[in-house]
Amino acid sequence: MLNRNVNYKVPRNLLVLFELMALLLLFIYDKDNLDKTTFISGISLIFTIYISNFILLRISTGDNYIFLIVTMLISIGIIMIYRIDKTIGMKQVIWVGMGIIVFFITYFIIKKIKGWKDWILVYGIVSIVLFILTLLLGTRTKGSINWISIGRFSFQPTEIIKLLMIFLIGSYYTNYEKYKEKKYGSYYLMGIIYVFIGFLFIQKDLGTVLIFYTIFITLQFIYEEDRKLILYNLLFFIVSGLAGFFMFDHVRIRFETWINPWAYIDNKGYQITQSLFAIAEGGFFGTGIGLGHPDFIPEVHTDFIFSAICEEMGIFTGIGIIMLFLILVYRGFKIAISQQDKFFRIVALGISILFGIQAFIIFGGVLKMIPLTGITIPFVSYGGSSMLSSFIALGILQVASEELDLEEVQNE
Amino acid sequence: MYNIFSLIFKYIFIVIIYLFILSIIRLIYLDIKGIGTVSLDNSIYLKLINRKDSLPFKIKEYYSLEDFVSLGRGNENKIIIKDPYISKNHLKIVEDEGNYYLEDLNSANGTYLNGDKIMDVVELKNGDRIRVGQVEFLYVNRE
Repeated sequence: MLNRNVNYKVPRNLLVLFELMALLLLFIYDKDNLDKTTFISGISLIFTIYISNFILLRISTGDNYIFLIVTMLISIGIIMIYRIDKTIGMKQVIWVGMGIIVFFITYFIIKKIKGWKDWILVYGIVSIVLFILTLLLGTRTKGSINWISIGRFSFQPTEIIKLLMIFLIGSYYTNYEKYKEKKYGSYYLMGIIYVFIGFLFIQKDLGTVLIFYTIFITLQFIYEEDRKLILYNLLFFIVSGLAGFFMFDHVRIRFETWINPWAYIDNKGYQITQSLFAIAEGGFFGTGIGLGHPDFIPEVHTDFIFSAICEEMGIFTGIGIIMLFLILVYRGFKIAISQQDKFFRIVALGISILFGIQAFIIFGGVLKMIPLTGITIPFVSYGGSSMLSSFIALGILQVASEELDLEEVQNE
Repeated sequence: MYNIFSLIFKYIFIVIIYLFILSIIRLIYLDIKGIGTVSLDNSIYLKLINRKDSLPFKIKEYYSLEDFVSLGRGNENKIIIKDPYISKNHLKIVEDEGNYYLEDLNSANGTYLNGDKIMDVVELKNGDRIRVGQVEFLYVNRE
């Protein structure tokens, strides 16, 4: 017993040690232009993470590991982003700070308000409104329309819609009996998800289509009683994959560069080949932070952060990140299994799948295992809306890890 | 100068990351170890009724009973539960000729057997519910 209590502090302290050493190293690296604000924000971030981990152990009766794992991922990410570009690194520090605040806000809101499972219409309507707004106000970057800019801020509505979709599927299957009695009741959910996927096709955002499909098919596979719907779904999946391949140029280019990037090394295959060179250059232990050339890869701070980490911190750190994601997803499944409330069980499953599939797609992409799709690694890559939505998802997962039925009984 | 630092630090970073992963895996291992297997080698045990995740302190799913078991917050007890509503030395369960007897050790909040506060030594029967502090146990005797 005593031994176990002591053990809880071990990962927390290791995390702080890691962060302090990283901060020290970054300052030696950057010693010519030391400035006070960077130092203060670095220290305060370390402090915030430590305090958050500490507070969470007190206020939450649920899982204590997911936040720890995530803060480790964030630390590795920030070190790398700061080393690549100082200003982006500072922005990322601010985003993480906001993310942690959002995490706690989400945690309290989700916990206080009851009845999340009954608002299926709200989730559907809000998602569709967001989709329409994206099409009306969106700006086109790299072949897809998926950003809305308001003043100086720009965000990706699909990051929020992902979570809304998980809530929608959750509330649908929680009230499954009710919908099943209606005529064509089991087709409602498929209908609305295909509306979402249709919008994504118009936006040409096929990476997100893949995420939506995976979450939907997995949850449907677990909860759908009408098994032939899953077959339909898989069929549609293949059809829309082929349609995407023939309709969109940038999908074909991604596919060609996946089959043989070396033929196009001077233009469209440049990014992926540079990524492979970087990973190979790093070897087992990496070149050391600041000694490699991750800036040769375009988009290195978002999609290709994994290659940069592999180059400078070694393939062992890369494997470490994959293992961190493995235990994160494993914890998510464990939370889902032990949760009694059906809605939160489905939501916990959906969020674990979301983290898992996003990590899988981008790790596979930069390692040239699967065709590359430009999405961010949750918690590691640079990106404001991705960071915030991942923290919202984590907050929901934290609520789902607690015993919700028991508290209701106690309140009565 | 910086190069040397960077070279040393990269090894240290990898070591720290893996220690971190290992310590978390160890915690998870301890977390799931208690499930199911302990009860098999002993047919007399206390089973936790509360859901384990709902308690803010560390507790096991099963505690197997030997001929003398004491329970409390203090570290000298056989079963240590860091619940603030449990006294330092709260209760003991003693075996005598195959039967198990529950006795409260003048605890502040008392011990409840099937909802009634116990005053004296009581004999335990299979299926009895023992409540101490916020924790409730089921007494299982399969012999």
